[in-house]
Amino acid sequence: MIRFVGVGKHFGAVEAVRPTDLTVAQGEFFTLLGPSGSGKTTLLNVTAGYVAPSDGRVFIGDADVTDLPPRRRNVGMVFQSYALFPHLDVFENVAYGLRVRRLPTPDIRRRVAEALATLQLNGLGDRRIAQLSGGQQQRVALARALVIEPAVLLMDEPLGALDRQLRKQVQLELRHLHQRMGRTTLYVTHDQEEALVLSDRIGVMRAGRLEQVGTARELYERPASAFVAGFLGESNLLAGQVTHLDGDRAALRVPGWPAPIRGVAAPGLRVGAKATALVRPEHVRLGAEVPDAPEATEARVEEVVYLGDLVALRLLAPGPATLWCRRFARDGAPAGDTVKTGFGLEDVRILPD
Amino acid sequence: MTLAAPIRVAVQALAALTLGFLVLPILAVVPASVNPLSHLRIPPPGVSTRWYREFFRDPEWLTSLGNSVRVALLTTALALVLGVLAALGLERLGGRLRQVFTGLVLAPLIVPVIMTSVALYYVGQRAGLVGTTLGMAAGHTLMALPFVVLNVGVSLHGLDPMLPRAAEGLGASPWHAFRTVTLPLILPGVVGGAVFAFITSFDEIVISIFLAGVGAKTLPVKMWEVIRVEITPVAAVASTLFVALTVVLFWVVRRVGARSDAPEGAPAR
Amino acid sequence: MLRATRYARVTALLLAPAGLFLGAAFLLPLAQLFRLSLGARDGPLAAYREVLGSVVYQRVFLNTLIVAFVVTVVCLLLAYPTAFVLARLRGGLRAVAFYCVLVPFWISLLVRTYAWMLLLGTQGPVNATLVALGVVSQPLPLLFNSTGVLIGMVHVLLPYAILPIYAAMVKVDGRLLLASDGLGAPPATTFRRVYLPLTLPGVTAGAVFVFLLALGFFVTPALLGGLGNLMVATLIETLVNERLAWALAAAASFTLLGAILGLLAVAVRFVSLGAVLAGGR
Repeated sequence: MIRFVGVGKHFGAVEAVRPTDLTVAQGEFFTLLGPSGSGKTTLLNVTAGYVAPSDGRVFIGDADVTDLPPRRRNVGMVFQSYALFPHLDVFENVAYGLRVRRLPTPDIRRRVAEALATLQLNGLGDRRIAQLSGGQQQRVALARALVIEPAVLLMDEPLGALDRQLRKQVQLELRHLHQRMGRTTLYVTHDQEEALVLSDRIGVMRAGRLEQVGTARELYERPASAFVAGFLGESNLLAGQVTHLDGDRAALRVPGWPAPIRGVAAPGLRVGAKATALVRPEHVRLGAEVPDAPEATEARVEEVVYLGDLVALRLLAPGPATLWCRRFARDGAPAGDTVKTGFGLEDVRILPD
Repeated sequence: MTLAAPIRVAVQALAALTLGFLVLPILAVVPASVNPLSHLRIPPPGVSTRWYREFFRDPEWLTSLGNSVRVALLTTALALVLGVLAALGLERLGGRLRQVFTGLVLAPLIVPVIMTSVALYYVGQRAGLVGTTLGMAAGHTLMALPFVVLNVGVSLHGLDPMLPRAAEGLGASPWHAFRTVTLPLILPGVVGGAVFAFITSFDEIVISIFLAGVGAKTLPVKMWEVIRVEITPVAAVASTLFVALTVVLFWVVRRVGARSDAPEGAPAR
Repeated sequence: MLRATRYARVTALLLAPAGLFLGAAFLLPLAQLFRLSLGARDGPLAAYREVLGSVVYQRVFLNTLIVAFVVTVVCLLLAYPTAFVLARLRGGLRAVAFYCVLVPFWISLLVRTYAWMLLLGTQGPVNATLVALGVVSQPLPLLFNSTGVLIGMVHVLLPYAILPIYAAMVKVDGRLLLASDGLGAPPATTFRRVYLPLTLPGVTAGAVFVFLLALGFFVTPALLGGLGNLMVATLIETLVNERLAWALAAAASFTLLGAILGLLAVAVRFVSLGAVLAGGR
């Protein structure tokens, strides 16, 4: 378990992480998701102990580790560049942490063999690091971090150097590994798809602040802000002004639309304030599916992008606004047509700016 | 830029002559050391080991050779300890402070050696270090230290800073991480620095002249004394030893350097 | 925050041994020497006044400057074509040529000077060759005079000129030369207006190294020179060993150092020595 209590970090005048509270549950796979500079790597380094926080305390398990150096925290870290020791072979790399702990040789041999087997690195023990492929190096780095049986596993964008095919494959392998081993993991990435595949919960970070924490589903279906909505999955965002607010329902006046668009209100809205309506492309309805409502309107199909199983339609809606609509290929509409467009009320989310 | 033929030939000829000018004089000492006559003639009229026998029978020459080796070893040890620590410290320093300290380390190379020697002689006399191995080594270390710091510094600079971090994350103390990760990876720089330190001390003449006194005459000093009085081929024997030593150590450095160029974290195949 | 001061403390500990050593073995003796330079019987600046004012010493300084200047010019004239050819060689031939520059560079200064003593004598091989070829009818006096000193110093200092120039030449983008050719410029113009300016930083660096080293040279002038051409370094040695005139020796030393530092300060304006140092080695 990892607990941050008011953890913040500033480097001189630059505030990299604003005082943050967060608890990662025991055995949970938690991802810090955000663009570069959002503070996610800093928070990871604070957890590892490479960076001392300017404010707050860090707990691993029940222990306050804030003042402890990395070597006393029992964390396993996988670096973005792997940081494998070039002068040692695969076996010695994985065994390094165990040798430091002065385990007896037979134990070391056994545990390293187990780790290599778990990560499908059998038979590569005496290879030099330079002889391995990128994917293999990544797994050695993982084996090295796991073999010491750390309290938490920390990973800093470990899949960044891999090509797309390999990335997807390794993502699934990581997920299976986590399901098998159940080790508390804090993962950092800017790739939202990766976050969705791997995580139990995701924390979206922007400019040093945790914008929203939740499961993949929560973040996708009920984003708290336009930023979070934009970061996870595709979105159509319509800017406007809140005209109506009633409990968890709101209406947004978008210039050019015949009537205010109604939808589910996210917390933090105010009548008269600027806000954004979010509609996922798969929820944009066309033609006969469009519910009978004053805000339904017409749009012209500008472009049809064929994606294999789906088509993406680029619609020019009033505003003017561009709407992307995704549907199965057989339900599409040809370019040039003008179609009726609208949304189901439950599918629209009005977000504060 | 294609040069006209006659100019090109002239340039190449001049370059060849210059390179020959650089190398030939050094090759002159080897024939001189086996020359049966006491003055140099090329081609030498024969081969004789007479001067070598004289060299190795003369207690003064042998003592000076021994002194040279002793002082050079001590200098290398001193320069390595001070230099490796300094290089590690410099790597952690930034900007201004780093430039100032590097300047201090390099200063003995910029200040004229005669000046440094005279200053060391003055202070050394009062401290009783003139004519001692320790005093000589101290003086030589001034000149050897920059080479160690530079060599080790270059090696350190090429080291991935994440590696010691990873080691510490795996539980290693800073000293353990240094010993098992940093040191093996900067070893080429350390070895190169050690070789340069040894050669620098072995060759050092000006400081040695002033600090040798009676008890610590190194080979260059003995040679200096002898050739000021007479041009004897025995000095050519000493010179040949110098040349041989330099060539061997030079070769060692190239080999260590070549091995360190082997792929270290090269892109995965 | 505790972590930060600990980092600084470890850094200080790492630098302390070398720092203390340099302070005790280098700065302290130089400071003492400076004190000596001010300790003449006739007052603090008396030694400097004599060193700078006396005709005898002025002649020594002038001789040193002239020798250093001539050596620098000769070195540059020889180094430029050599570096040029070196930069254009490939593979094995380049390696061999490089060793011809580097190995002498590393061989003891004393050995190299001694070799010239062997070569330049009236009965030595150089004279023997010249006489045999009929260039001269009698052996030339090449030793114990300015000629010998010049030859010896050029030999020793050539690598200091070749390496920076080579480093600069290797960095020249060949396509610039192709472009100049393509625009119709004859080789002489391409050289004058493109190549030479691009290699000038290397030339300047080489010139600075050679000149400053030549100013303080001791061994070569001492062995190859005669009594008539004292240089500053040999003068200082004489003052210390023969005349025990410490104040004068110290004053002469610091004057020399002042000249060197002054020239360095000027030179640093015109070329980034650090970059060339890094490239040359």
